[in-house]
Amino acid sequence: MINLTINNTPLQVEEGSTVLEACRQIGIKIPTLCYLEGVQAIGACRVCLVEVEGINDLVASCVMPAAEGMNVSTNNSRVREARKVVVELLLSEHDGDCQTCDRNEDCELQSLAHDMGIRELRYEGEKAPRHQDTSTIGLVRDSAKCISCRRCVTVCTAIQTVSALFPQGRGFKTTIGPAFAQNLDTVTCVQCGQCAAVCPVGAISERDQTDEVWAALDDPSKTVVVQTAPAIRAALGECFGMEPGTLVTGKMTTALRSMGFDAIFDTDFSADLTIMEEGTELLTRLKKALVDKEEVVLPMFTSCCPSWILFVEYFYPDMLANLSTCKSPQQMMGAMVKTYYAKKIGKKPEEIVMVSIMPCTAKKSEAARDEMNDSGAQDVDIVLTTRELGHMIHEAGIDFQGLEDSKMDAPLGLSSGAADIFANTGGVMEAALRTVYELVTGRELPFENLHVTPVAGLEGIKDAEITIEGTVPEWSFLEGVTVKVAVAHALGNARKLLEKIRAGEAEYHFVEVMTCPGGCIGGGGQPRITTDEVREKRIAAIYAEDEGKELRKSHDNPAISQAYKEFLGAPLGHLSHELLHTKYTEKERV
Amino acid sequence: MSKKIKSLADLEKLQLLEVKKLGLRMDHSVPESNDNTPREILVCVGGGCLASGALKICEAFNLAIEENGLSQKVTVVETGCMGPCAAGPVAKIMPDNVFYQGITVEDAKTIVEQHIMQGLVVQHLLYKDAVSGQPVANIDDIEYFKRQNKVVLRNCGNIDPLKISEYIAVKGYQALAKAVSSMSSEAVIDSMLQSGLRGRGGGGFPTGLKWKFTYEAESDSKSVVCNADEGDPGAFMDRSVLEGDPHSVIEGMAIAGYAVGAARGYVYCRAEYPVAIERLQKAIDQAREVGLLGENILGSDFNFDLEIRMGSGAFVCGEETALMTSIEGNRGEPRPRPPFPAIKGLWGKPTVLNNVETFASVAVIISEGAEKYAELGTEKSKGTKVFALAGAVNNTGLVEVPIGISLGELLYDIGGGMIDGKPFKAAQLGGPSGGCIPKEHLNVALDYESLNELGAIMGSGGLIVMDEDSCMVDVARFFLEFVQEESCGKCTPCRVGTKRMLEILERICDGKGEEGDIEKLLTLGQQIKETALCGLGKTAANPVLSTIRHFREEYEEHIRDKKCRAGVCAGLVRAPCQSACPASVDIPGFVSLVGEKRYAEALMLHRERNPFAAACARICFHTCEDHCRRATLDSPISIRGIKRFMVEQEVVIQVPECKENKKNAAKKIAIVGAGPAGLSCAYFLARLGYKPTLYEAAPRPGGMMAQTIPSYRLPREILAREIRMIERLGVDIQCNKTLGKDFTLEELKEQGCEAVFMAIGAPDGLMLGLPGEEAEGVCEAISFLREYNIRGSVPVGKNVVIIGGGNAAIDAARTAARLDAESVIVVYRRTRDQMPAYEEEIEEAEAEGVELKLLTSPEEIIVENGNVTGIRCKSMELGTFDRSGRRRSVAGDQADFIIPCDQVIAAIGQRVDLPPLIGQVSLAVKRDGYLKTDSVTKQTSEEWIFAGGDVATGPSSVIDAVADGEKAAAGIDLMLTGKDNAFWRAEKKVDTFFDPDADPVMYEREKQPLIPVERRSCNFDEVEQPWDEATAIRQAKRCLRCDYREEATTW
Repeated sequence: MINLTINNTPLQVEEGSTVLEACRQIGIKIPTLCYLEGVQAIGACRVCLVEVEGINDLVASCVMPAAEGMNVSTNNSRVREARKVVVELLLSEHDGDCQTCDRNEDCELQSLAHDMGIRELRYEGEKAPRHQDTSTIGLVRDSAKCISCRRCVTVCTAIQTVSALFPQGRGFKTTIGPAFAQNLDTVTCVQCGQCAAVCPVGAISERDQTDEVWAALDDPSKTVVVQTAPAIRAALGECFGMEPGTLVTGKMTTALRSMGFDAIFDTDFSADLTIMEEGTELLTRLKKALVDKEEVVLPMFTSCCPSWILFVEYFYPDMLANLSTCKSPQQMMGAMVKTYYAKKIGKKPEEIVMVSIMPCTAKKSEAARDEMNDSGAQDVDIVLTTRELGHMIHEAGIDFQGLEDSKMDAPLGLSSGAADIFANTGGVMEAALRTVYELVTGRELPFENLHVTPVAGLEGIKDAEITIEGTVPEWSFLEGVTVKVAVAHALGNARKLLEKIRAGEAEYHFVEVMTCPGGCIGGGGQPRITTDEVREKRIAAIYAEDEGKELRKSHDNPAISQAYKEFLGAPLGHLSHELLHTKYTEKERV
Repeated sequence: MSKKIKSLADLEKLQLLEVKKLGLRMDHSVPESNDNTPREILVCVGGGCLASGALKICEAFNLAIEENGLSQKVTVVETGCMGPCAAGPVAKIMPDNVFYQGITVEDAKTIVEQHIMQGLVVQHLLYKDAVSGQPVANIDDIEYFKRQNKVVLRNCGNIDPLKISEYIAVKGYQALAKAVSSMSSEAVIDSMLQSGLRGRGGGGFPTGLKWKFTYEAESDSKSVVCNADEGDPGAFMDRSVLEGDPHSVIEGMAIAGYAVGAARGYVYCRAEYPVAIERLQKAIDQAREVGLLGENILGSDFNFDLEIRMGSGAFVCGEETALMTSIEGNRGEPRPRPPFPAIKGLWGKPTVLNNVETFASVAVIISEGAEKYAELGTEKSKGTKVFALAGAVNNTGLVEVPIGISLGELLYDIGGGMIDGKPFKAAQLGGPSGGCIPKEHLNVALDYESLNELGAIMGSGGLIVMDEDSCMVDVARFFLEFVQEESCGKCTPCRVGTKRMLEILERICDGKGEEGDIEKLLTLGQQIKETALCGLGKTAANPVLSTIRHFREEYEEHIRDKKCRAGVCAGLVRAPCQSACPASVDIPGFVSLVGEKRYAEALMLHRERNPFAAACARICFHTCEDHCRRATLDSPISIRGIKRFMVEQEVVIQVPECKENKKNAAKKIAIVGAGPAGLSCAYFLARLGYKPTLYEAAPRPGGMMAQTIPSYRLPREILAREIRMIERLGVDIQCNKTLGKDFTLEELKEQGCEAVFMAIGAPDGLMLGLPGEEAEGVCEAISFLREYNIRGSVPVGKNVVIIGGGNAAIDAARTAARLDAESVIVVYRRTRDQMPAYEEEIEEAEAEGVELKLLTSPEEIIVENGNVTGIRCKSMELGTFDRSGRRRSVAGDQADFIIPCDQVIAAIGQRVDLPPLIGQVSLAVKRDGYLKTDSVTKQTSEEWIFAGGDVATGPSSVIDAVADGEKAAAGIDLMLTGKDNAFWRAEKKVDTFFDPDADPVMYEREKQPLIPVERRSCNFDEVEQPWDEATAIRQAKRCLRCDYREEATTW
């Protein structure tokens, strides 16, 4: 332990702590900007300056190691003035159109200026040059708002290992963006939006498509159907000042209904459908490998996450065959709504507008993929992020907190708890195992409360083994087989896992990958800023939703059985192959 | 030589063998040279000489050697940098030790045929002593080399850098051998600590301490990194060492590796140094080949190897953490410290990081002992430092001197003084992180602490010398622009803060500076210093802070007076001559009008800003000519000569526009003192329609122009005519009215005066304060001159001694010489080039028989019977530098001597006794005792009182007084009307013809004719005569028309 004094208060901190952490330990709030817990501590912005006795200049507390006997002042006029100057300098280069900015009232720079009592701008001059990058479907960048904090660079490079964003140029002309000042569409950006999720200002955001939704809702010739992803229900409340992890499924449904959506369905339904298809695909691959002794590509990778798909297409094209051919739940829902449901209500696919509410920016680009039109029209028309939905609810003048709960519409609004946990890292794996194990053995998955705890939680790469015993006759070839599974979240971890698999250092049957840290609950379209603490709360809420349901397993969902019976036939059958599966192509890297 | 060297004994044996081969170079005791003496021609192929064609010179030498059949006994050796880069290509003939410079291909042949074959030194290629102008043959006799002490550069220019054998011959690698065979790591580190060596990259951190920390850090691997990312503008010592003696760096790094326990070393060098990289790589390969790098070095269990990493030339990569980040393969950006590299450096492992110069010093410390090294330098800064001298000094290039030598010694003794003898203004040390040292501090010791105290830094040793032609605001802007462009953009203060500072500076240089800008620069600079992430950012503001500290008045001039005195800032300067003129006369305008024979227009244009055209044509000290750009081509335009011709053409007096203004005419304004300041103020006020009253204590107006400037320089009628011109504008001049006696300031106010301009000068001459000065025959120059000029006669001795070196001294001397004196001697304690009097005046005084007794200080006036009989003097020598940037004169050790004389005239300065004059009014005074005024309006601390001329500036020139009078007139009007009505300040368009594409005419500068010396005695006829018209027109045509701007053409 290290003993130090902060503002005359003696305290003890653990070896390796920074001064900032020490300050937080005793409740001193140091303003920060480039610092983001668990993501980045580089001392770049200089907002977190403090004075340390014996050091001439002020130091950045986020990177200053606490040392024995250190005497720190965090709140004297020298420190306050220096921080103020730093923020004023940032304001002097920053495009100050706060009122029309997406981040108005949700902007860290704005709050800092407010909290520091900046009431006049003493410095003025040339502004950061404006370059608006609208080249991709998911993300929009505006360099005039960028304050070069580099959080986006770190998540893109260190956490996702995608490295689409760099600092470039020098001096005042330093910009952050794709190499050679290109647009995002020319580089290997996987559209995950983690950059947008950590941006403290309005420099990177999702493409705003709320107007398109309003237009659809206003169009009497259209049937506007909405689906909401599992992760939304644990985060949307944050847009209205509610605690992270507050479940708002019912309020959300009421809000959507009052905004005028014609049908409100749950992506959970198609998540259950995914389990049926993907579970069957896994078992088929295992059968081919173990019984038919055919060349089969294993491990099989989950395919729910569009950024992960792009990541494999860009960086691991040799492993495309490992990806499950299942479409993601969003796309399965789109295809089902525009065929199965359309038939039920007697509409043509083009008369339906399919809107998705996703925690994700990449879902926008997934929906726009050329091949996603098996219904005869583009299966999903408009994708909104959680944040965009929040904006729309505000705009509609709905008092969200005061709303009554209501239920989603049948039949595609019915789902199991297994579908809910698709939102969490390890959740798809757990949902699949619940079904596969029971299908093969006729018994429930032998984990307490059905939770595969070894693959849950925020550790980067997790794995588990399950030995199958007491199989039903149909699956007797699996008797005694130990199924090896692995789960990774954040693409940097996925890369590590893939390298191991490619090198033959690890052998798995089934691998789940989610691009965003923590899974979809930490998606690039979720309310900002998602810290580990927020992730834990959202994850817990999702598990609570699961546990609160009577139906816990996808194959128990009667609406699913009904859909197969009425429409699809059997998992991996002809129609499901047509509507619910897809294929992948290698993408060229620049 | 590819056999492995396996032990110290091997190395020593090899050294003895190799040194024999270098016999010619080692042994300077040359026998009588004849054409049979074997010789080596050492040709510098350092960067500077390469650029000036050294390789061609080598070829030429080889060809001449071959052609003359000398191949057997003459060898050409290509060496590293010898230092005097500006003089390149250079070569040294050994063993004769003769140094040649500025060699051409033809010269190479001459050297072989004359020097080598006939033993005749080629005189015209020798270095010429800056003081005596005499050629010096032996390199050891050349001041530039003699005063240096080469440790780091010990082998540069003496050995072939591409031959490890030559390095070994000069005992290379023996320090490494000593370390690995007989010293522990701790012992090596102790030696480094004892040596007192501090990091030569700029920070000055003790090298031994750095090594100690790295040694103590526990880790499975450690690294040694050499910072060869030299980036300061003008600094190139690291490159020279790498090019000229790469093995010294390899050896230093290997010793560091041994000391801290590192097996791996990296040299981080910018790709812009291809020659350095190539030579260093060859040296590494050679060292590896003979086993001095690699495993089990010299039979020990010490393993060490090196590789070069190339940087792309980002300045910030010279910062240690950025450098390591770059080596690791990332964008070169600094990271926060702590942790320091010694604990967590390259790839997170302990790392010793020093620069080239530091590593090159290591071997000397280890082999010759720390104590010996520590004998050099000062208490806190040991050893030597290499400086890259650049700019306005005669000898530019690399010099290595013991730390602690004074800046003045470096510039004048080694650097050979300023080019063209111009006054030194400032030295910029330490590149963009550094600061400026002004002339007041030429004595500063070049060591880390002393420089820091003055706001500069040692830095990497870049030293740029500047004269009066450098604008300090522009210098700051240049460096800040450099840093801003090189900032990595990571931290806010550096990325945005320096940009905001740069914008302010650019605005100031563009003439758009605002009140408060200086304060803004200071606060922002201080904030950036305290808050930036790395060394680059923390020091980025230094050039600005340091120039504000030492040259604040220059900033103020830019901001308030919209004036750049050096004539540099484009936004403030039409032409440098006009900027240099205190009164901002449109010089290119009147010169070009004279060139078209439009004399009346020319004169009118001149009088827009200065009424005393005819007076100034005779007596102005023409600072305009000192800044004339034509000087860079041949010599300045003779502006005063052209003006003199112009005023001679005046038939009807030419007065520019005057405005009538009844309101103004009704206001009462008093001007006290009818010297150039008072008269000018009256003139400009009159042009605004005022009718001011001038009060003059003397019987005649004109001030010093009438009272002390002798009429052989300024005929009385000429002056009187211009004064009458001013009177005719409605100015009332009342003579014989003395302030404090005949009237007071309070009375003026009571009588309804709304403004008073005090232009009372500094009329009292100072006395010597020597024993005997109360004797008959001792007087001071101002009274002496005034008495003659006003009364028409003054007592003059037979043998007159005048004490002082200013214009008053020369005026008194020439006046005395014209009257009854038989001998006139001017005694001055400094040298002739330090005399404040105008050079042409001194020349004429000498021509008229006045004797100068220089470096002589009066000690006592010898008195007999109450009369002066002589003056006892002491011989002086030049010592250290004083605050004016001149060398002090200090007493020599010769015996005093007596100059017999019967009159002593003291001309050592002037003063004004204010209290009896200003009475009860309290006016703020400056530290020098003169009135404090606003630089733009000349307003004093009392709102209604303005002041200008000598009473505000101290004794100064007529043209400065005219400028003050003009400012005061505008200031008074501004106070009374609240508006800026100074219409004469608007730029006048001159429609003279100029062809920008034509070549400049190549007429030479001519002097004005003078009446012969024999016709000057016993009369006060004007000495200087005007040119004829043809000459004047020719001279006017020499103007390069710096004022010319291409007009945008709109079609």
